[in-house]
Amino acid sequence: MTVRVLVADDARFMRQLIRDIIEPEGFEVVGEAADGRAAVEEFSRLQPDIVTMDIVMPKRSGIDAVKEILALDPTAKVAMVSALGQESLVTEALQAGASDYIVKPFKPDAVIETLRKLAEKAP
Amino acid sequence: MDIAKYRTLFLEEATEHLAEIGQALLTLEKDPRASAEIDTVFRLMHSMKGMGASLGYDAVSALAHRLEDRLGAWRKGGRIDDAEGVAVLFRGLESLERMVAIVRETGEPPPPDAALLAALDDPESPKKVRRLS
Repeated sequence: MTVRVLVADDARFMRQLIRDIIEPEGFEVVGEAADGRAAVEEFSRLQPDIVTMDIVMPKRSGIDAVKEILALDPTAKVAMVSALGQESLVTEALQAGASDYIVKPFKPDAVIETLRKLAEKAP
Repeated sequence: MDIAKYRTLFLEEATEHLAEIGQALLTLEKDPRASAEIDTVFRLMHSMKGMGASLGYDAVSALAHRLEDRLGAWRKGGRIDDAEGVAVLFRGLESLERMVAIVRETGEPPPPDAALLAALDDPESPKKVRRLS
């Protein structure tokens, strides 16, 4: 079964990069969001299997968006997208209920492995 | 990775980001407590860092990273806390614009702005950056 992914990042560059990494591996990017508020709205509308969530975004941070998504659906699977130096924010996101994280600049194999692991994880 | 495709995306998005940073700096020049503008510049520097690192443009990512760190500290303090802080950001913006122009013209990674990086690493950096301008 195809795994449906919502990609939330304020940079078009990063959204395209994630799409190009995961789509050839059988994941389907069902939607994109350019800010935290849109990420929550698109999550509600699309009900994806996995969300990749950038931390630094306008309107609502990725961490606040994760909290809202988990309030809507406690079984939601969210992989945070972090940069080096954001370890404390990643910890905060994981404590808030994010499932895992991927690090920028992306290593394609690591991104795919993380999303596969999440896809296989029971809700 | 289709480098040409991502170089084009980088040039488009970096040009937009730098224009937005320039606008925000004009506001910060008048009001160093303008928190929305500090947030905007912080976020866009973060984005420049990520794009630069993804394409191997180390000069872009290193400079954006230093400026992001500086902004992170100002963000926590709620204002750009020294008189010459905005001058540092303008100098950084100018350097990033030059780097993006080099990528546009040559398609190659730009060289680092070693003088600015060294000045930013120095505790007396605002004065030293000022002297570089």
